[in-house]
Amino acid sequence: MFFGRSVNVSRYDVQKHPIFEKLIEKQLSFFWRPEEVDLSTDRSDFAHLPEHEKHIFLSNLKYQTLLDSVQGRSPNVALLPIVSLPELETWIETWAFSETIHSRSYTHIIRNIITEPSVVFDDIVNNEAIVNRASDITRYYDDLIEGINQYNLLGEGAHQINGETVHVSIKDLKRKLYLTLVSVNVLEAIRFYVSFACSFAFAERSTMEGNAKIIKLIARDEALHLTGTQHMLQIMAEGKDDPEMAEIANELHAEAREIFIAAAEQEKEWAEYLFQDGSMIGLNKDILSQYVEYITNQRMTALNFEPAFPSRQNPLPWMNSWLNSDHVQVAPQEVEVSSYLVGQIDNEVQTDDFSNFSL
Amino acid sequence: MANIVKIMEGFSFIPRSELNLLEALESQNVDIEYQCREGFCGSCQVQLVAGEVEYFAEPIAFVPDGKILPCCCHAKSDLTIEIPGGCHIKKEQ
Repeated sequence: MFFGRSVNVSRYDVQKHPIFEKLIEKQLSFFWRPEEVDLSTDRSDFAHLPEHEKHIFLSNLKYQTLLDSVQGRSPNVALLPIVSLPELETWIETWAFSETIHSRSYTHIIRNIITEPSVVFDDIVNNEAIVNRASDITRYYDDLIEGINQYNLLGEGAHQINGETVHVSIKDLKRKLYLTLVSVNVLEAIRFYVSFACSFAFAERSTMEGNAKIIKLIARDEALHLTGTQHMLQIMAEGKDDPEMAEIANELHAEAREIFIAAAEQEKEWAEYLFQDGSMIGLNKDILSQYVEYITNQRMTALNFEPAFPSRQNPLPWMNSWLNSDHVQVAPQEVEVSSYLVGQIDNEVQTDDFSNFSL
Repeated sequence: MANIVKIMEGFSFIPRSELNLLEALESQNVDIEYQCREGFCGSCQVQLVAGEVEYFAEPIAFVPDGKILPCCCHAKSDLTIEIPGGCHIKKEQ
């Protein structure tokens, strides 16, 4: 999949891992645009939220914006230079493209509910709680990108860079790749879900429903993305693609496990920041922390890791129905939630609306 | 032909033939995880202890050996399955 012969003609007639083609097809069938979702009721909903809930809503949105900024860019920058299968290359491009739609929808949401969007966006890079987590998210990507650049420029061996000796080897790059994919999986499968829980908690109370509708579409995409990363990690761990990769996966097992646990702890700290000024109905710091543990366990078992937390039942059972893509509204006339998609209908018709109507 | 589905640490039942395995479990009020219900998220996977299932749609999610995705299969023979976290029955709503 990676570090083989570089991709040449984009041909998909012979495929080593046909699963990536299936992922691409699924992702394409999911195509949507944020402008399809009407957010006009969200604007007044937002204005009526108490201050501490505004803080929860905006902080959550800022974090989602950050995560998608990373994911819209980094798979392309880090993985495309080393990929060696056309079907995987196209999957990475399709994957990153759908993340750019997510980023555009955050701007769409923020533009619709706030008069000064720049206040929100500027804070993403200034807010300490967000910046702290951002550095952990991008660390593995940065490592891998730096390593690949050194390899392309200097090749394998020991090199003097800025007065320091740097050892460049393919095996080391493979290690970095494995850890990067684990941290991507953590980002998509745990961090995102924590933020989804907050978005849906608002909609459970029938407020900010347009936002929830967008998040629902995003969640559907993310479920597919995390399946993609799980496939990559499993193919690697089983040595189906590159026997050396299986060794590396085995060797880094403990470190990979630590990435999951560290992320879960960080998400719990985030829960504390979110609810610092007060909880909201249906969600507080403790429930969200329990959900973090629950979802982390689930994701770890999926990849054959020993779960890190005591097993428990889903503390947020209503999440399932929000995450269910069966309920994603595809036709505007089949309304599930009260805010319409395209082409709104005015249901209030008065007698005098017909006053100038004659037969 | 009707097949029996047995849940470990739970009970056995005979699913209606038009339901997929996930729907069949839900019709028995069994608490089971789900998300996409079309085979790409992998949330609903359970351990197949004995028996055979038939997939009517090939799942996109990664399914480890020995596990099955109930949302896109039905029982082909008598089954024994194990639900992660144990068999819990949903409270009446």
